[in-house]
Amino acid sequence: MQAYHFGGGKARWVPYLLLLPGMLLYVLIALGPSIGTTFFSFTNATGIRGAPVDWVGLDNYNEFLLMGQASRDNLAALGRTLIFCFFVTTIQFALGLLIAVLVNKRVKGTNFFRTLYFMPVILGAVIQGLIWSLFLYPLGGPMAKILEFFGTSSEFFGGQPSEAFAWVIAVQIWANMGTTMIIFLAGLQTIPKEMYEAAEMDGASGWQTFKNVTWPLLTPSVNTNLLLNIIGSLQAWQLFLVLLGYRNGTQVLGYLIYAVGFGQTSGSVTSSFRQGYAAAASIVLFLLVLLLGSIAQFFLNRRERRILG
Amino acid sequence: MNINKQTKLIVDLDKKPQSVMKTRGKINWGKIGIYAVLIIFAIIYAGPLLMLINTSLKSLPEFMKSATSVTTKLNFDNFVDAWEKANFPRYLTNTIIYTVSATLVFIVTAVFLAFPISRGYVKGSKIILSLFLIALFLPPALIPQFQLMLRLGLYNNPIGYILLFTINPIGITILVNYIKTIPRELDEAAALDGCGYFRFVTKIIFPLIRPAIATVAVLHAIGIWNELILPTIYLTNKDYYPITRGMIVFQGVYGSNWPTLAAAVLIMIMPMLIIFLFLQRYIISGLTQGAVKG
Repeated sequence: MQAYHFGGGKARWVPYLLLLPGMLLYVLIALGPSIGTTFFSFTNATGIRGAPVDWVGLDNYNEFLLMGQASRDNLAALGRTLIFCFFVTTIQFALGLLIAVLVNKRVKGTNFFRTLYFMPVILGAVIQGLIWSLFLYPLGGPMAKILEFFGTSSEFFGGQPSEAFAWVIAVQIWANMGTTMIIFLAGLQTIPKEMYEAAEMDGASGWQTFKNVTWPLLTPSVNTNLLLNIIGSLQAWQLFLVLLGYRNGTQVLGYLIYAVGFGQTSGSVTSSFRQGYAAAASIVLFLLVLLLGSIAQFFLNRRERRILG
Repeated sequence: MNINKQTKLIVDLDKKPQSVMKTRGKINWGKIGIYAVLIIFAIIYAGPLLMLINTSLKSLPEFMKSATSVTTKLNFDNFVDAWEKANFPRYLTNTIIYTVSATLVFIVTAVFLAFPISRGYVKGSKIILSLFLIALFLPPALIPQFQLMLRLGLYNNPIGYILLFTINPIGITILVNYIKTIPRELDEAAALDGCGYFRFVTKIIFPLIRPAIATVAVLHAIGIWNELILPTIYLTNKDYYPITRGMIVFQGVYGSNWPTLAAAVLIMIMPMLIIFLFLQRYIISGLTQGAVKG
């Protein structure tokens, strides 16, 4: 508690009173429901107003992970989520770093390139998706022409599930690489110029400078980006909704949760909204994020201690 | 360390002319390589957008004949078509109402939250702040949130929908950190002059933290503008649809008519692009701050 200057007595309550609306909204809309997810995962809650909610114990988890064809599909979706996470994280990380280093150089036009690469971030999934649906128009669209030039072809989002899935990965990276780039750029700009000049005087090559100066000093941004990319890509699924719809063989966990919790197409509230089951699924996804996030955090911290002492 | 830095700076000044001379008169392959990569990526980033513009200016038969041909005439019929058929005025108005009102409520409540937390003027302010920070590490709120709104009768209700967007934990932490940079002595001086708490926050703190507010507000507003999932879950009445949801519906109906669809997408992008080009600085600083803190 700090000394308060704006009067005692009743006046002392003013800051509490004014803080209350924001606090209430937060507890009601975010914090409470977040905690409530665990509770609902043990119930058979539906989307019907006034319907009774019964405690079912671990039934939802049991059904989600261990029962029949549906659980095999769920585990397949879980596997797909991991594959999506792996490719998006690694490629987006590498490209973001490369581009950030390049637009950080003192060459003309870097502002233009930065703005251009960052632009998709603010457009949102609907527009990102629609733009790419057009660019990947299978009947003689630009990408079809490019592939034709190289003697190959693709049915893009209408192709085999794995093919469509790969294109969604590409769009996801295109859409979010800008954020990774910006965070790396912020990190690069904290590296003192003298370090580079010292390296130059020592006769270090470009690669040596990067390996021995840039990369270790970039450790905080490396950590931030890796964690953000891992957590973000495990939870991302909006582009699947816009680009593919709920298609067998392409679902990731996030989309699955939405589909079982709110119906695949959504419209009116129906009894098919299995919200207790969806809550259990979202706890599974949450634990996955927590697990991978913690593992990454552990290794990144160990690496940081080794490099920065 | 400091001295070391300074000597290196002096060396730097000495060295500059040399390095300029070195690059003059020689083909700089490094620079060419940099531009090559940057331009390839520029094509990947601008290409889809140019395709969109090109398609929006073509007629449907033209597009069917060749999807990639460059349009020869400027045909704006598609825009008129999209505007009328897509129910755009309605959806756009809804989106603007949702975005502006939710952002306003959020900013006002957030300042009254962030200021006393940052200053330690309320008991347990550290605990309150950590309540906001842990939100990022808790399970998603989606299902119980829906149950709550359903029970409160706020399902398929614009006010309920707006309420969903009146919170933003990252925004709060950005504001708290920014307020820390404003000297405490200011509070004391203002109080001595007889300024009350409410007046101090609204008349003095508010203008002083405007850069942080701009950053947080822009980030928050972009999130609402682009939101697709929540309107799909919470709004079933077409009259309440925001533009994102309207766009998906429009795609369902006009999915094969790309020229009209492209024009509709462009209409939807325009406000975002303009905001982005003008407020880029705030968006980027907000994203980097949020990322580093979060």
